[in-house]
Amino acid sequence: MSEVTVGTELPTFTQKAELATSIAYAAASGDLNPLHWDPAFAANVSPTGGVIAHGMYAMGLASRLVTSWAGDPAKVAEVRVRFTKPWPLGETATFGGTVTAVEGGIATVEVWATREDGEATVKGTARVRL
Amino acid sequence: MALNRERIGVSYPPYRYEVSREKIREYASALGESDPRYYSDGDDCIAPPTFAACATVIKGGASLFADPDLGAHVVLVHGEQGFEFGDRPLQPGDVLTCTPRIADIVYKGRNELLTLELDCRHADGSLAVRGTGTIVFLGSAPEQAA
Repeated sequence: MSEVTVGTELPTFTQKAELATSIAYAAASGDLNPLHWDPAFAANVSPTGGVIAHGMYAMGLASRLVTSWAGDPAKVAEVRVRFTKPWPLGETATFGGTVTAVEGGIATVEVWATREDGEATVKGTARVRL
Repeated sequence: MALNRERIGVSYPPYRYEVSREKIREYASALGESDPRYYSDGDDCIAPPTFAACATVIKGGASLFADPDLGAHVVLVHGEQGFEFGDRPLQPGDVLTCTPRIADIVYKGRNELLTLELDCRHADGSLAVRGTGTIVFLGSAPEQAA
């Protein structure tokens, strides 16, 4: 990391949620809820009427944004997110973050993932040891 | 039926979670991670921070459903999740002892927000990770709380 100051922006990336990414995350995390892979099940219970990505998948990607920027996962002291809106399969989300405080050797980073309609699917903060 | 608020503060029996190299790989791959340490065969292998989900989210949630006095139901969504980490990332061979605890249950409109804390410790007692999850049970808060 070069010098970190309030306002430093993390390099963004995009990710499309797909059935393949959802099944891989279900298997890896142990969260086998069919809401995340079965269209027939999702049609009855999903807030969008369709299959949506795991919130924890979005959180994992938001954390990846932070570790990639920090250069070392050991520097991440804390990650915390709110799941604000569902992320439907087929949609691309943009992950971003910005440094909001630097104090006592810790950077506080605001992180988010934005859907194609501009609404956030996750919002949160990470605390990174500098 | 509303959740039993007398269960606030209750801790459930600890369970064991053993971190394995192959599970770290599988998890890192599912997130498209490129850090070679997540895929290493050597002593430098570490887990991505949110790998902690494997030890906490579903296993911890299962404690709630195993509690006959709580009244957990399946009409729910995940509201918030946090992880605080100990001094080092998880590594293959770490054996965690994870204790779930109901930290709070509050009403928000007709929904109930249950905060579940998961305290995961290494064999020497040091903190590995502390998970804090908010589970939103939809529609079960009592009418008068709305």
